Amino acid sequence: MRKQFKAIRAAVAAVAAAAAALSLAACSQSGGRTTDGTVSGARTTFTYARAASVTSMNLWTEITSNNAFAIDKVFEPLVSFDTHGRIIDWLAKSHTISKDGLTYTFTLRDGLKFSDGTDVTAADAVFSIERHQAEKDAALPLTADIASVTAPDEHTVEIRLNSAYTPLLAELANFSNGIVPKDFGGKSESAFFEHPVGTGPFVVSKWDKSGDLTFTKNEHYWQKGKPGISKLVYKTVEDGTQAVNQLKTGEVDGIESPALENLDELENGADTKVETTGSWVTHTFFLNTADEHLSDVHVRRALAYALDRGDVTKAVSFGHAVTAKTVLPKGIEYSTQDSIKPVDDDLAKAKKELAQSKYPDGFEAKILLASGNNAYAQAAQLLQSAAKKIGVTLDIDSVDIATFRSRFKAYDYQIMINSAQADYPDADSIISFQADPDGFSKSYWTSYSNPEVTKELREAQVTPDGDARADLYAKIQQTLADDVPYIPLYSPQIVKAVRKDVTGLEVLPNDSVRFQDVKLG
Amino acid sequence: MTTPRRAALATWLGGVIVHALLVVALVAVGVFLIVRLVPGDPAQMVLGLKARPEQIADMHHRLGLDQPLWRQFASFLGTLVTTGDTGESIAYHVSSRALVMQRMPVSLWLIGCSAALVVAISLPLAMTAALHKGGWIDQLVRVVPTVTLGMPEFWVGLVLILVFAVTLKVFPVGGTQPGIDGMLYSMALPSLVIALAQTPFIVRSLRTRILDVLGADFVTTLRAAGLPERAIRRHVLRNSLLPALQLYGMKVSFLMGGTLVVEQVFGLKGVGTLLFSAITARDFPLIQAVAMYCALGVVAVSVAVEIAGGLIDHRVRGRAAASRGGAR
Repeated sequence: MRKQFKAIRAAVAAVAAAAAALSLAACSQSGGRTTDGTVSGARTTFTYARAASVTSMNLWTEITSNNAFAIDKVFEPLVSFDTHGRIIDWLAKSHTISKDGLTYTFTLRDGLKFSDGTDVTAADAVFSIERHQAEKDAALPLTADIASVTAPDEHTVEIRLNSAYTPLLAELANFSNGIVPKDFGGKSESAFFEHPVGTGPFVVSKWDKSGDLTFTKNEHYWQKGKPGISKLVYKTVEDGTQAVNQLKTGEVDGIESPALENLDELENGADTKVETTGSWVTHTFFLNTADEHLSDVHVRRALAYALDRGDVTKAVSFGHAVTAKTVLPKGIEYSTQDSIKPVDDDLAKAKKELAQSKYPDGFEAKILLASGNNAYAQAAQLLQSAAKKIGVTLDIDSVDIATFRSRFKAYDYQIMINSAQADYPDADSIISFQADPDGFSKSYWTSYSNPEVTKELREAQVTPDGDARADLYAKIQQTLADDVPYIPLYSPQIVKAVRKDVTGLEVLPNDSVRFQDVKLG
Repeated sequence: MTTPRRAALATWLGGVIVHALLVVALVAVGVFLIVRLVPGDPAQMVLGLKARPEQIADMHHRLGLDQPLWRQFASFLGTLVTTGDTGESIAYHVSSRALVMQRMPVSLWLIGCSAALVVAISLPLAMTAALHKGGWIDQLVRVVPTVTLGMPEFWVGLVLILVFAVTLKVFPVGGTQPGIDGMLYSMALPSLVIALAQTPFIVRSLRTRILDVLGADFVTTLRAAGLPERAIRRHVLRNSLLPALQLYGMKVSFLMGGTLVVEQVFGLKGVGTLLFSAITARDFPLIQAVAMYCALGVVAVSVAVEIAGGLIDHRVRGRAAASRGGAR
């Protein structure tokens, strides 16, 4: 018995020792930051908190932002876009488009090298584009009717089309058209993407697919003297509040997706600030036009008139969004945000529209939304109370994201709230996905079909940039606003929160950032 | 030990282990069915919004999700038996078992530190309360810990982070740091959250048991024999430990579930956060792996507690064997 008591006493002593060690540890470590490379003084590591880890670096098969915004640090395309979404030459120093719109010619920059030190030639670009075209699992396939991709000389890449396709240049600016070494530099494709080699400012040095990813500086980067940091750590922090607190204490230097409700405190924080730009996103109510009630255009117009979108913006965006009047966000060329006549905020007209419909006495329907998104939940409640004023009863059906996705893709919804996003800076990126009944998304799963719109969107795809294209998109946007297959709500700013001593972060409208010019302290 | 007693012990142990394996098998079947019967499609989650139907169909084929349920189960069972793995994670493209094993140390650290804190807090509190039964100390010990019962763990976690990490900067906000001292440092706040939630139950149970034992005949006898009070306390404590141990074992099982919230709040890359993201992505093999290994862990703890209980008190062994129809 004495022995057993001794054992208990030893256990208690061990616990006490552990507690003491814990407090000692606290004392010894509280003096400075212990995260990798972030000791104050010579900070050259930027730690970026992101909600999801990088699971694949395959630029052709990936689309989700967790992967896309790691891929674009390693692979770069011939052309890219600036913070306003304007197309700029990138690996190409110049480009020309023939008058008939059938031949695109790109001239590569001089002295371009991959991160392993080998030269970049036009043959690498040809291989990359052709390989992308052949990829059956391509997430963002090139939609142009490409006849050939050739390299007339070491520095020239020529793309010939069978028929003109204006969005091609913008499509090429996508991260999925980055340049990889011809034949993967002699490796197998799967081995190559485990240790990718590109022309981008960073090289993958340590990668935990369910955790963090560490990039190191590409010593052969073509922008001389850049990047300014030697390491970039993508730290996976799933919880938003945890990420905000880590930013406040300096455990991370930036947050990729700060919640809108945190922006005020981060913008005015003692050690934090936010960097913003306009986005290519519009949060939208989608109306299933194949639904018994919502197939009636008067019903859809009644709902749109009943809702004050300005109220939604005010309630959910904390001053970091613009009320959307049209389907194209302002950052996309040909958006008629400033000139369109929206169907919006007019209760008298809402009642009149409903009276003209097949359901003058109202009806019941459900709003489907993915749980965990406070802004969406609030927007749904505002639509619910707006609809009540005209006698329409809307219930909110909140389900988890996986269920949500499965349901709306099976057209199993009446009204849903989701985000509409352009992948590249061309109006067609949104319009063909949201208004083409023949596309696989069937007008963003609304089943909306208007032959006039379909004809115009096809015409806009082959019309060269200029007034004629602008007119077509203006017409399409007005028809979509009048037919109300969806109610665009607001376009949020792209916001990144960083420590106050961070400079040079370039925030892009597709939600990515460039770190080339970043400096710490 | 005589042969019949050995046989009884073996029967009892065998029963405990068969029971445990049955639980694990049931978990395997249950989780397999549940993840496939709830709505949601891993292909839709991995391929993203703009995946075309033919890409989704292709992925279903690759993952075998286009097969009838019984064939999927046979394939799952085959992989499990031959490799000890539930297959490659759909979202992370690596072995599910490897992922769970990679995340397990953080969760074990969290559970270990929490368990140690629970003992460190509840043992002295229960003893003090019992020895001062009815006094103000007893009231205080009984009432104060229950305050934390009404507070959700994520909220307690956030308050601790705001006070000790953001404002006072004595502990990290989240994540883990290298080395044993780094781990202890990182686990301080999260394990405290868990300990605060578990302590009230243990304190109350232990206090009641100590009081029972204090009133037992053998204590009166010891007192009458003139044994010093300190020596008597030792006997009391030992006799009170069994129910507390059993409760504690059960709580450790709960604790494994509770780590999910705490890991999320403190940004710890443990099994809890892995399960959370696996469920969100409907990553079937990974959900199954986490469930299987956690079930194994919980069952192992229960078995260990049952065995420890049996070693401390022979009556437990006898009762357990009798309830299974085994030899006494």
